[in-house]
Amino acid sequence: MSEHVRECEVVVVGAGYSGLAAARHLVRAGVDTLVLDARHRVGGRSFTEVSEAGYTVDRGGQWIGPTQDHLAALAAELGVATFPTFTEGQGVELRDGNRHLYVGLIPTSDPEGAADGIACMLHLDLAAFDVPVDAPWDAADAAARDAQTLATYLDSHLTSASARAILEVAVKAIFGTGSGELSLLFSLFYLHAGGGLTNLARTTGGAQERRFAGGSQQLAEGMAAELAERVLLGAPVESVTYDADHVTVGARVVPPGADPADPAAAHHGLRVRARRAILAMAPALCGRLDFSPPLPGNRDQLGQRMPMGAVTKIHAFYDEPFWRADGLNGQIVAPGSILESAFDNSPDDASHGAIVGFIAGDDCRRMEAAGPAARQAAVLDDLARAFGPRARTPVEVVEQHWPAEPFTRGGPVAISSPGALTALGPALRRPVGPLHWAGTETATQWCGYLDGALSAGLRAADEVLHALQGEPVGLD
Amino acid sequence: MASTEELLEAYAEWRGRSNGNPRLTSMVRGWDRVIHFTTVDTEQGFTMRVAGQQLSELTVGHEGQPDVVVSGSSEDFCDMFWGDLNPSEKYMSGEITLLGSQQDVMRIDAISMVAFLDS
Repeated sequence: MSEHVRECEVVVVGAGYSGLAAARHLVRAGVDTLVLDARHRVGGRSFTEVSEAGYTVDRGGQWIGPTQDHLAALAAELGVATFPTFTEGQGVELRDGNRHLYVGLIPTSDPEGAADGIACMLHLDLAAFDVPVDAPWDAADAAARDAQTLATYLDSHLTSASARAILEVAVKAIFGTGSGELSLLFSLFYLHAGGGLTNLARTTGGAQERRFAGGSQQLAEGMAAELAERVLLGAPVESVTYDADHVTVGARVVPPGADPADPAAAHHGLRVRARRAILAMAPALCGRLDFSPPLPGNRDQLGQRMPMGAVTKIHAFYDEPFWRADGLNGQIVAPGSILESAFDNSPDDASHGAIVGFIAGDDCRRMEAAGPAARQAAVLDDLARAFGPRARTPVEVVEQHWPAEPFTRGGPVAISSPGALTALGPALRRPVGPLHWAGTETATQWCGYLDGALSAGLRAADEVLHALQGEPVGLD
Repeated sequence: MASTEELLEAYAEWRGRSNGNPRLTSMVRGWDRVIHFTTVDTEQGFTMRVAGQQLSELTVGHEGQPDVVVSGSSEDFCDMFWGDLNPSEKYMSGEITLLGSQQDVMRIDAISMVAFLDS
């Protein structure tokens, strides 16, 4: 296989929101920058497609909410309109074989449990706001909190089994994993970064408030359009060789139409030599690259201790949003079901109906072996319980099983297991020689979200600009 | 449209329930605040204070510098204080608005929901 060589000032690995934001910032500052991405598309965990039946599907991140100012500014700049998530009417709670309707943030069929859950959410959020988002490892009682899981906290602060079950649904929807896998300290940091659990769980006034007309990937495509030939797709990076002043990134270049995950599909090799690199990828994926010299132990350990969450995102499409005629808003909370949480994901003009739901955490892992047909059958069962028999006959079902995505390997975000943040957290953003770290996991505001990806990219780009000017990079 | 007397009566009932509710008093621990209510239909102002984990009486008129301003119709406030209205529904629809710091708004939101659920 032949090998091509390119030189630039900065190479960015990953053409998701974070990498593209970083590259755009650098290019606008006059820095010669090249972005590489393994896939034949930009967007990373933002992925919009037109389905076989002709529906526009956001397979990944899709929402924008208040205080996501970087995302809002980008949408405004690119002229991408947003519209509110449909929330008029009642949500459906499926629990213990029963169906209840509710209004508001939390199902109220068990008022005592709901009150218990809301009080717990408040106490959790107040604790979260005491955790510094730029250095959670410096929080009061950081070691003690990092030594326990979020599950331990919830178990000890909730007396109601129904509240415990409902909060677990919220945790799985937000983190893509159960509370038993999450460090309490990391959870508190993450909640603070997103304005609190209440904010993250909300539609109106919260993280799920609005969507992008035409899908979220447009924003990545808009950034990539500005970068033009500075974005090279179908180029999975395999190696990173660095010294104090330079970095060489080794990739294989795969022709359009060929599978980037198949090494045999490579057309040629590529070596990109630069003064600095920004790795705009989740920590676990960074750990899969072959670094020479090897990364410092703590940085590598960080990648090992920040696994991706597990989520399958499923859309069921219908001729119309028929549940609205029954006074339902399409939201489902169903502890113990396969489809534990769902939303109305119909277009703004309601020209067809769409429900989007999430299979998360261990349910996602367990259902991987069952396969798409079994997953979809289970989801349609749950939708029929919520909305009636018509829900069993969608026009189309589209699923995105993120753990199987070769260049993402899970979602929606990397989580931190107990003990990792206090021991290894400072390595998250600290540059290693000419290597800088981006990706939503490195964000201090809206970590795990599209907005966090943008701010992380801009922060990494600023680090690089300082470094190129010979200025020390102030971190931690 | 609710009269001032009706609103004060409903609030007094809500206050009595709230101050005797251990879950609610734990939610206002260390949270001493001045809260203004404004009725958008009758254009009246009211003031309540939270101090020492207890809610004060509601007084007519806006007094002191508010930490949170709650605006809505007199009827909705009455229904909320009587426990007949899920406040979350009114927040979501924008018929009751809360103005203040994020944490203060979050706390009022949670307190009013728990008061409703425990009523």
